[in-house]
Amino acid sequence: MKIAHLGLAALIAAGSGAASAQSTTATSGPFPVTGNVPILCTAGTLSEDNGVFAVGVLVDLSTGLLRTDLSAPPKVLHGTFCTSRSTITVAASPMVAQAFTTTPPAGFSKTVNFTATAAGWTPSPAVFTTGAATNPNAVQTRNTGFTGDITVSIGSFTTGGGPTLRMVEDPLYQGAVVVTLAAAS
Amino acid sequence: MKLRLLLLLAGAAALLPSAASAQLVAPVTRTVPVIASAPAVCSIQEPELQAGGQINFRGLNGNTLQIDHLVDPATLGAAGASANIKFDAVCNYPHRIRVEAQNNGLWQTSERSPTPPEGFAYAVPYSATIDWGLEHGRLDADAKVRRIAERSITVNRPTSGEINLRLEIEAGASNVQANAPLLAGFYGDTLRITLEPQ
Repeated sequence: MKIAHLGLAALIAAGSGAASAQSTTATSGPFPVTGNVPILCTAGTLSEDNGVFAVGVLVDLSTGLLRTDLSAPPKVLHGTFCTSRSTITVAASPMVAQAFTTTPPAGFSKTVNFTATAAGWTPSPAVFTTGAATNPNAVQTRNTGFTGDITVSIGSFTTGGGPTLRMVEDPLYQGAVVVTLAAAS
Repeated sequence: MKLRLLLLLAGAAALLPSAASAQLVAPVTRTVPVIASAPAVCSIQEPELQAGGQINFRGLNGNTLQIDHLVDPATLGAAGASANIKFDAVCNYPHRIRVEAQNNGLWQTSERSPTPPEGFAYAVPYSATIDWGLEHGRLDADAKVRRIAERSITVNRPTSGEINLRLEIEAGASNVQANAPLLAGFYGDTLRITLEPQ
């Protein structure tokens, strides 16, 4: 932006010089020079491995119940920025068995709920729990422009339908976490 | 000429605000898949004697179910006995449950003569009834021949809960004729319950 401004100034000076050669009183301008910084956001890039939350084996092999020590390393969105006021929204869909498509038999579940958190952008992180009736903290607003990293993490895994249910066998349970960054007017 | 150039530049700047407002309405998103797996699991816990329905059994000692009195003292034939045992179990995929009686009846475990005396029983038949989820089955260990007897049930769905096993010895049961007196000795059999792939 500064380079463009200097170029314009040189043109104006040259114009003035030409005018002075013709007349001592004629002037042109002033010519307003305006610039604009658009309101925009970028969500940056995921720098962690292949960009997948790999939770691993879901069940305790001796009981068939959901393991209580499930975890996955957090992901970081690097190079994120918004030039103005912004909102961050986190949403998620539960992990669901991909091959077992019918209704599970009594005593079994094919759904694993979890809580997704997007932290680092707003004073309070955006939090979304799959299977919850409401997620009042899923949207958070930041009143100023900002650049920084957003750490996205998952945890608090629970069995859909209740903790006494077992998980049906399936080689792939899949869900998703979606982080949305939007400029706010 | 110079003036026209400057005006063109000013015009370009005037366009920028409308471009900015277009970017405002397009939020940016990042989607991260969450993946995991649930491997095939079958599990059976230790047996528990169920309350009720227990006749002439002392109870469970570890995995051994001890009959109180195998012989009716009045007839010397086999005394009736029954017990219900449960196993907490789970199989999270379509599978098969197999009940296997190693001796096909209660046979003398102590050394015995090769030719038992006529008229005496030397093995006791019994039945094992099994309930597992929606499936039911029965193994009759008839004690006719000392061999492995088994019953296999296909279960076409994941199942969890209790395997209920009912063991029953009828009064007077015998491998020769009903109410035949039993030869003295220790009698036993070994039952195996297996949850396995189909």
